[in-house]
Amino acid sequence: MERSSEEVIPSEAAVLITHRTDPIRYNQNLDPRLISTSSLSRPEWPTIDGPLGLSEQDAVGYARKFFGFGFVLLPLLWAVNCYYFWPVLRHARSFPQIRPYVVGSAIGFMVFSAMLASWALTFTIGGERLFGHTWDELVMYNVADRYGLTGWI
Amino acid sequence: MDQNPRPTGILHSLGEEIIRIITPVSICMFLVVILVSILDTNSSNFSSFNTIATIAYDESTSDSEWDKFKGALLNSLVFVAVVTVVTFLLVLLFYFRCTKFLKYYMGFSSFLVLGFMGGEIGLFLIQVFKIAIDSFTYVLLLFNFTIVGVLAVFMSKIPILVTQSYMVIIGVLTAYWFTMLPEWTTWVLLVAMALYDLAAVLLPGGPLRLLVELAISRDEDIPALVYEARPIVDPRRNSIVQRRIWRNVDLESTESSQNQRIIANAEEGQRIITNAEEGQRIIANAEEGHELTAPLIERIRDHGLVGENLGLEGIGLGSSGAIKLGLGDFIFYSVLVGRAAMYDYMTVYACYLAIIAGLGITLMLLALYQKALPALPVSVLLGVLFYVLTRVFLEEFIVQCSSNLLMF
Repeated sequence: MERSSEEVIPSEAAVLITHRTDPIRYNQNLDPRLISTSSLSRPEWPTIDGPLGLSEQDAVGYARKFFGFGFVLLPLLWAVNCYYFWPVLRHARSFPQIRPYVVGSAIGFMVFSAMLASWALTFTIGGERLFGHTWDELVMYNVADRYGLTGWI
Repeated sequence: MDQNPRPTGILHSLGEEIIRIITPVSICMFLVVILVSILDTNSSNFSSFNTIATIAYDESTSDSEWDKFKGALLNSLVFVAVVTVVTFLLVLLFYFRCTKFLKYYMGFSSFLVLGFMGGEIGLFLIQVFKIAIDSFTYVLLLFNFTIVGVLAVFMSKIPILVTQSYMVIIGVLTAYWFTMLPEWTTWVLLVAMALYDLAAVLLPGGPLRLLVELAISRDEDIPALVYEARPIVDPRRNSIVQRRIWRNVDLESTESSQNQRIIANAEEGQRIITNAEEGQRIIANAEEGHELTAPLIERIRDHGLVGENLGLEGIGLGSSGAIKLGLGDFIFYSVLVGRAAMYDYMTVYACYLAIIAGLGITLMLLALYQKALPALPVSVLLGVLFYVLTRVFLEEFIVQCSSNLLMF
């Protein structure tokens, strides 16, 4: 097992251990003569994985697909889209092609989760007083008992 | 954030890589222990737990210990036989280049695990905690969870953290399912799988060895459920530090079928292969300009590491320095610790330490021998040994000390 020590990653353990590859930090660690060309408002990589993620050209297709499929009652996909393209969201005016989809995903996710949360909270807090008989029919543990859903194992 | 490289060398980078693989294993074990503690299934009606692992003998508490042991042995033999057949099937399919089929099969099995197992465990939790969630919300959340999970397993263009989390979750769910087997069957099954792994990797006719040799000769990746740690990126040069020192492979197929429904989980077992290509190349030195960065990193990715989840690499360093561990390892380690949790937390601590020590030993052996090695045996056998020793000796000691107010 041989590794030349000077080529091993040095002190950026803190960056790596937290499993976050913030592209801005990469820019800051680059050669000084490159820092002037890559300003902080222009991250290099559109995805949160930095150089391990997508390049900008590929990213447009994926952002569009995630945004589109999120309409099939998949708000989690929108959330994943926002998380994945977090540098795009954070830095306005960067990646103009990707940005509309990511912003759309963010808005969609917030709207959907607001609706879902309000419905779920109404159901939980309202309980039988609000719904009457149907509350018992809708609540999950009764549904599970009625159809024997936990007996499959 | 200094630019000067510290002379830390191997310990720094290898230690970090090991941490990146021990963390998810620990999280998986921890979650299984919590699930087992919360959902006490011993008291439930699990005498009707019909699976392929209990097809030969259904353990009941009234049998004598020797009967239980014989029954468990029978069960394990049946299970190992099924696993062997399925692995040979996998080798055959891989030989005939049915990679697409294998990928779809993987996606399907993860759909089943996440959808059905996840749904049922969610229902158990709802019943235990009396959470007043309605069916629409629950079905919607489950649907989201499952679909995004299948995408995370299928595609590689999902955030690495999401993919890793879903791998751990699949491991947790499958391991929890295994802990529902009867006790003696579980322990004998663990030992049997460890021995099977040993045989399948080291014997010349072993299916896993054949699979790995096929993969190496074609320079392809086996489609498999594999956890892949984040490769270390050299921040000085904004590129992936490439180390083709080892190329390790883990593979194993397990199949479990039930009377009421067939779940075919093709997870990967343990097989470690080292490809002794020494040297280390820094790709795309950013000082030469950004134009070189993108195409060269594409080329690294095309080698299938962070690639289309066709990673068969198990424990060890893939060609980009990313450690990969087969999901079968996660599952069986967690089963061991989960089963230990069903007795007492003392055994949990002992088994956890044993497994982590086994993992470390396996990595060291890997560095030493540089050839195909199974990673399941050392950890599992150490774990079982520590469980038995703890139950027999340590518990007695601790109880006596506590009751005599000597030590708590």
